[in-house]
Amino acid sequence: MSIYITGVGVISAIGLNVKENYQSLKDQKTGIKPLRFFPSEKEILAGEVKLSNEDLITQQNVTSPISRTSLLGLVAAKEAWNGNEHNTNIRTGLISATSVGGMDNTEKYYEQRLNKEKEDISLITTHDSGNTTERIASELGISGYINTISTACSSGANAIMLGARLMLQNKLDRVLVGGSDSFTNFTEKGFRSLMIYSDEWVKPFDNDRNGLNLGEGGGFILLENKKSLDITNNTPLACLAGWSNTADAYHQTASSPDGKGATLAVSKALKVANLKPADISYINAHGTGTPNNDLSESTALINVFGKDVPPFSSTKAYTGHTLAASGAIEAVYAVLALQNNVIYPNLNYSTPIADTQLVPETSWNDTNEVKTVLSNSFGFGGNNSTVIFKKVEDVH
Amino acid sequence: MYINACSTISHQNSFKNENWINELTLLNDESELITPNYKEFITPTALRRMSKIIKMSLACGKDCIEQSGIENPDAIIVGTGLGCLADTEKFLDNSLTIKGLIPPTSFIQSTHNTIAGQISLALKNHNYNVTHTQNSLSFEHALIDSILCLNEEDSNILVGSADEAIPLLGEIIDNLGFEKISKHMTSGASFFMLSNNKTNTSKAKLIDSYTVGLNNSDPKKVINEFLEQNNTSLNNIDLVLSNSFGSINISEIEELFNSTKVTPVEQYTGYHLTNAAFSMHLATETLNQDSTIKRILIYNTLNNSNIGFTLLQSLEA
Amino acid sequence: MEKLKRELKEQIIELLNLEDIKVSDIGDDTALFGESLGLDSIDALELIVLMENGYGIELANPEEGKDIFATINSMADYISKNKK
Repeated sequence: MSIYITGVGVISAIGLNVKENYQSLKDQKTGIKPLRFFPSEKEILAGEVKLSNEDLITQQNVTSPISRTSLLGLVAAKEAWNGNEHNTNIRTGLISATSVGGMDNTEKYYEQRLNKEKEDISLITTHDSGNTTERIASELGISGYINTISTACSSGANAIMLGARLMLQNKLDRVLVGGSDSFTNFTEKGFRSLMIYSDEWVKPFDNDRNGLNLGEGGGFILLENKKSLDITNNTPLACLAGWSNTADAYHQTASSPDGKGATLAVSKALKVANLKPADISYINAHGTGTPNNDLSESTALINVFGKDVPPFSSTKAYTGHTLAASGAIEAVYAVLALQNNVIYPNLNYSTPIADTQLVPETSWNDTNEVKTVLSNSFGFGGNNSTVIFKKVEDVH
Repeated sequence: MYINACSTISHQNSFKNENWINELTLLNDESELITPNYKEFITPTALRRMSKIIKMSLACGKDCIEQSGIENPDAIIVGTGLGCLADTEKFLDNSLTIKGLIPPTSFIQSTHNTIAGQISLALKNHNYNVTHTQNSLSFEHALIDSILCLNEEDSNILVGSADEAIPLLGEIIDNLGFEKISKHMTSGASFFMLSNNKTNTSKAKLIDSYTVGLNNSDPKKVINEFLEQNNTSLNNIDLVLSNSFGSINISEIEELFNSTKVTPVEQYTGYHLTNAAFSMHLATETLNQDSTIKRILIYNTLNNSNIGFTLLQSLEA
Repeated sequence: MEKLKRELKEQIIELLNLEDIKVSDIGDDTALFGESLGLDSIDALELIVLMENGYGIELANPEEGKDIFATINSMADYISKNKK
């Protein structure tokens, strides 16, 4: 059974929709800048979505309180949903991913509490991650299977994978899958406490990389089976071919030096997709720019692909690390890569990592056909996920 | 699918005590979480940093491993409504009050998947490891994922859920106008070993689990649809275990199930978003011990707009 | 120096929740990381916070911690040389 992708939606630091994101990728224009909308004592480099909460609320015509995570998810989910209609013959679900949920509102509530101000109790009602997703579902009129995945930075990829598995087992015909995360003081201070937040522009896969820049945003893709396609008449943009999730079981935050979990994730996803390593046209790497991730991921790529690592790049230098949204945003980029036969440049790279000598793609490369894209997402707790996308062959 | 092990830490004497279902006591204001000596399950180096939710989960998880003899499950799947609240609050507080460098441990342990991640670390397990968080339906979603795994190529799944109460949560529930509930906001964890294989530790069969988020249909209709999908009807259900929020009148729930007996579970477990997992352990042990009961339906409407169903059957039926 | 060493042992036990460890269990030359005390890289980050908040010493690169936090002796030595 094929799983068709018939809609994509994205909001990130490099654009408020798919078109703007694609243009920024092409223009090699980073969205990582000093924060504008988020109050901070000192200058923080981050991939901020260039719209305030107030603008998002007005634009989406929703009622407050609503978390920024919900708002960002809603923008991307609406774009991917693209005005599709509900139909009792198409069992439709929504799976979103988030790591912070409504933490942006929780911080405001907690600060009021600390300052002994009058607390706005309604702010805390958006805290739980399930609420983040329910707000998106309710705006889109989706009821039934509504779920949230929270596996830190691999959450988005895991939401996509779960959607595919539910469809393969005939539980759903159509499912909107993706994720969103807002920038928060909590996560920024968190990555600083781990000493992996860089105050310079992030340099994925560079020998002198010194940490990540956070980002924020949302990404969604609409998955449909043949039965659903026959009713909606939507045109498939790409297919979801393979997926896998594994545990590194090495350390609470760090990835293993031998890349065990990541190696397993990539290998298993290839197996599910029934593809050989040589079949992969492009790898959108997790590539956060932390010394640990990029080394471990490079080792895993060498473990699987040997001397013939396909062209690869990390797009985190454009968007910042959008945590739970990253796997979903990068899934949209993967679909765009397949549609346009393009491999994205890895910005800010100059020197290969000494131990692995892997060189990422550094220019906008549209010379070869892109048939398949492999996308990695790795998270805290040793959570490793790989998703593989391919061109639509024929609809059957 | 067989339930080959179950383990619960709750306000009942449920841990490592098969007879607990016959010793149920109603929760009162003095009830406390009954916890084991965690040192028997967790190494001292790991234990020293762990919050309650992690300790409960790891102890229940390891107990399931011990009961079933399955040392390396094919997947570890966890549901949690609010995740690691104690560490989240601690880091939130630190991040807003400490100028300069903040201790990282509570940040690391604030993510929802710390629970499943710590279990994988303790078991050195490299398999599928996913955390579901859909408020009152988090456990059911973990179960549904487990059923998918068992229908794929997996044979044994460690699945469970956990939630922890912190004083701030009680205060918030109070301020939201649920004074009676806030006293009984509890912590709890339940884990299970689900398997395609019947073994000498099998206690009951899991037939199905199903969720309806943002329900807009008549609950009666949704109940019948779920039972029909599983080729059964209310006449065949011997007991309904219900999870609801304090404001609901039990007679409203009883009315939905005709003459089938309904037992509200929150009177034993208190309120946390994954207390349907406690119901599943209670149901499993009841089916295992009481030969007059063949089928139990768990009906979870802890959050009024969301419905969770879990259907269990005795080994003989 | 002896006072500083004792203070460090107490701080480490409290900060890292080493419940079953007493000050007398930690020798001045006991390796803090690895087998004996079982500290790991998360503890190293906690010790960096201790250095900054307790002694005013900033370590920009966690890698530096490896040598500094090897033993109580090496920690005390570094603190006495760099304390502000």
